[in-house]
Formats: sequence, structure tokens, C-alpha cells
Amino acid sequence: MSISAPRYASAPTERLGRTDRALAIVRQQFLNQSTGATWAVVALTYIAVILTDALYVLLASFVGQATSATFEFAYESPVLPFLLLIVATVVGAGCIAQDLGSRSIVLFLSRPIKTLDYLGAKMAATGSWILIATVGPGIVVVVIEAALGTVSASVALSAAFGFLATGLLATIFFTGLVVALSSLTTRPLYAGVATFGLVLSLYIGVGVVAGITGNSIVRYADPITNVRSVAQAAFGVSGAHPTDPVASAIILLVGGACLAALAAWRLSRVEVVAE
Amino acid sequence: MTGIVDAEGVTKGYGEVLGLNGFSATFPPGITGLVGPNGAGKSTFFRLLAGQLRVDAGTLTLLGHPAWGQGEFRRRVGYCPENAALFDWMSGEDFVTTLLRVDGFPRAEARERAGRAIATVGLTEDRLRRLRTYSKGMRQRIKLAQCIAHEPDLILLDEPLNGVDPVGRATLSELLRKLKADGHHIIVSSHVLYEIERLTEQIVMISNGRVIAQGDIHRIRDLIDARPHVIEIDCPNPRDLARYIGAWDHIASIEFSGERRLRVLTRSPEALYSALPELVIARGVSVTALRSVDDNLDAVFRYLSEGAR
Repeated sequence: MSISAPRYASAPTERLGRTDRALAIVRQQFLNQSTGATWAVVALTYIAVILTDALYVLLASFVGQATSATFEFAYESPVLPFLLLIVATVVGAGCIAQDLGSRSIVLFLSRPIKTLDYLGAKMAATGSWILIATVGPGIVVVVIEAALGTVSASVALSAAFGFLATGLLATIFFTGLVVALSSLTTRPLYAGVATFGLVLSLYIGVGVVAGITGNSIVRYADPITNVRSVAQAAFGVSGAHPTDPVASAIILLVGGACLAALAAWRLSRVEVVAE
Repeated sequence: MTGIVDAEGVTKGYGEVLGLNGFSATFPPGITGLVGPNGAGKSTFFRLLAGQLRVDAGTLTLLGHPAWGQGEFRRRVGYCPENAALFDWMSGEDFVTTLLRVDGFPRAEARERAGRAIATVGLTEDRLRRLRTYSKGMRQRIKLAQCIAHEPDLILLDEPLNGVDPVGRATLSELLRKLKADGHHIIVSSHVLYEIERLTEQIVMISNGRVIAQGDIHRIRDLIDARPHVIEIDCPNPRDLARYIGAWDHIASIEFSGERRLRVLTRSPEALYSALPELVIARGVSVTALRSVDDNLDAVFRYLSEGAR
């Protein structure tokens, strides 16, 4: 067989950089996650948080002076933490598992894009949805209360900061968690069950163990307790917190980063095999 | 090795099952067909080339780069997977545009290129429809569109004609020939052998994860001339003809396959082709037609894969 040197059809052309290429995946993933189920849980989160928190702050303003700590009720009640968990599960469980299961991941990774860019894009899209669901309703509550005049502008600003700071930390952790679990399977259902089951198990299990042993250290193992502790500090709630807020914040941040690293490690080794 | 794609002793297993087993081949410029039955290892080879799988042993390079992993060289490669899912919630145009954006094209250029590629595969009228409404053939064509839209140097097509209707097949075959004429290099797989035969004479034949033959289809045929080669001869009087040619050394058997037809197995078709005209002239035997019934890819493949077992 005669072999000649390769002759290429076109000269290399200037292309956009990694950020622009990753943004294309962010857009694609955000649209993919924009399903009826996502909108339903996000809407449910808004309705539930606005109704309970706004009403609570309103009632508090009748019996005394509502402060920024009053707004923390959204995190103190089961409403926001568990809706946050549901949103993360619904939005994020399929973000990588779906691509692996359908093998559509090859459409991305056979292109000039790094695995880290792909992962970053998936996390950005998933995190955006979680952030919308965690910070958004709280900000709406603050705006409503400020508009009604039940709180002063400074209290409103302080409460908005509380929602933003807590929401960001919670988003980082839960995004890392759900994306890492999604990268470990080809079935979104498994990733969803694992996310929901793990967080719920830790919440119940840690509560029981801490109650029996009286050892509050174990509470750091519960993401929801950590989020609540951070929320209490961010909203300026006085008194003893279930855990040290700074330590909890670090755990949420480092935990989210470690989970993202796990997903990156997994993706760097993943082979797409037909089922 | 200086091919577009070079494979040297590539082995890839899935647990205890070997997808490729010491696969060695050089894919030259132009169109090369990778042919073999289902389960031979064709898709495994394409997945290795696309960076989806990592070789267990051996080396595999495309355009001079190791196949495993991502890199800027991938912008020079277009890949049309056999059965990867598409983004069903997107329109055909959005699908191709999105992947061009991932390739690094600015939005306007990506849209323009997507439009051109979609027109090339004949889906312009359906470009705004959601992919979930596309037929199997249309899905194949939109996958091909995303594969060629960025004008890659090397195009990897894993069973691209699977599910495409006859008219679509002819159109796509013509497109591939045009891409080759434009300087693109193409590796295309199929288990429907006549499709490959119509596209290129340059083939790599694979069976049970190994290359069983590589090169020009006619040269491959030469390699197996030791095996009986079937030639059918139409003539008014087959018994007379059989009496004469039955005396030749290279004739393995003669079969009367019709009132006016002989089916001859010869170990040397060239000898038969050269001797038959002399016989016709010398003995006045009439021959109305002569054809090699197995000088096609299907027959060659059967012979070679039987030999590889």
C-alpha cells in the first residue's frame, strides 16, 4: 500500500477561548434542566418560602420589632433546607449521569474542550438553578417586607445579606454533592436517590447520635445543620448555635470543593461504554 | 507509520470480553472503510479514536496525537457516533450551533456554519424542528451535520448510513465523495459491505477485534487467490465447456447451476481469464457471459473471516 503524507483541508483558524466554549455548555445544560419538574420545584420553593417567611416576619412585626434575625425562620423551619435539597436533586441528578447514560457526553468530549471545562460548565448551570431557588425567594420576602414597611431599610439589607451569604454557601456544597454523585452513575435516578438519601440520612442519623451521646461534634457531619448554623450567624441570630458557624462555613466550602474534585477525578477516568 | 490514524497492537477489553485484540492498522489519506460484522470491534475502535475509551495496551494516534484525552487537535477531528443520544429538546439548528460554539466559533459564524452543514445534509426545511421529532434517518443526518460543520481534516463516521433511506444513502455517499475531493480524510465503518465498496476501495477488515486484511480491495482479493474463486460462465452448451476446462490444473470443481450456466471454482482466476478466450477460439466453444460472483467485499470478507477463525 502506498502511503503519502497527510494533506489537511483547512489551515487552523482563530477560535474563541475556553471560557466561551464552556459557556456554550452552560447554556445547553441550563436549557436541558429547564424542565417542568424543575420549574415546579423552584416555584414551590418560592411559594413556600414567601408564604411562611413573609407571614412570620409580618406577625413578628405585630408583636414586637422584626429584625434581620426574624428572617432566618426560612432556614430554621424545615421549608427552605428541604426544598433546597429537592431542587438540588431534581436539577442536578442528571447533569452528568444523563450524558453518561445516553453517551451524549461524547458530543462534547470529542471536541477541543477539557474535562474540567465540561465539569465547570455543568456545575455552573446546576449551581445557577440552586442559587435561584435558595437566594431568590428570600430576596423576594425582604422586598415585600420592606415595601410593606414592616422592616427598616437597614434591616432589609442585613436580611438580604443573610440570604445571599447562606444561599451561596449552601449552593456551593449542594452543587458539589449532586454533581459528584451524578458523575458516579449512568442513571439520574440513582444519583437523585443517593443525594436525597444521603442528606436525609445524615440529618436524621446525626440528630439521633448527637441526642444519645450528647456529643455536638457529630453535628458537623450534617449539611443541613451546617447550613442552619451559618444562616443563624449570617442573619445575626443571638444565642448558642448548633455548631460553630465559621467551622460550618468552612466545612460547606471545603466539602463542596472536595466533592467537585471527586467529580473531576471521576470524569478524568471515565470511559463511555455502550450499555 | 505516517498514516492519518496509526494503530499498533491496540487492545481494549470490557471485563473479560475483548473489544480489540492486538489491532494494528495504518489509515492512509482519503476515505478508508472499516468493515466487519456486528461485534467485530468497529465501534470500540471509533470510541478509542474519539477519546471515549483508553487503550489497555498498544498505541493509537490520530493526526499524530495520542487518541486518549482532550486537546486542541480535536478541532481538526469530526466524529459522528453510531448511537449517542442527541439533545432532544433542541432544534436541529440549535444543536449544531451549540456544538460549533463548543468548538470555539463565535455565535454568528457558528449559526452560519450550522446552516450550511444542515443544508449539506438536506435538512434545511426541518432545521427548526425539535430533535425529538426527527426520524432515525434525520437524526443520522443531523449527527453528520455536526460532524462536518467545523470542516475537520479527519472525519470519523461510525455506521453513518444506518437507518438512512435509500435516497438518503445515495446523497450521503455522494457527500462523502465530495468531502474526500475537498481534501478531507474519512474513516467510515459499516457492516453493510456494499456501501463501503461504493465509497472506497481502501479498506481495513476487522473480525474478532483483529485486522484480518488491509489495503485495496482488489489486492486483498489477490491475497486469497489460493482459495477457490467462483466464476460463473453462461454458454449454450455447458457440458462441452466443462469437459475442456475440467482438465485444467487450477480448476477445483465445476457445477452445473442452470441449463446454460457453469459455476466454476478455480484457484487461479487469472489463469482462467487468460485461457478461456484461447479455448473459445481454438475449440469454437461459445461463451455468452463471464462473471466473478465473489469479487466483491462481501465475499472477500467471508473468506478472510473464515480464515481468521
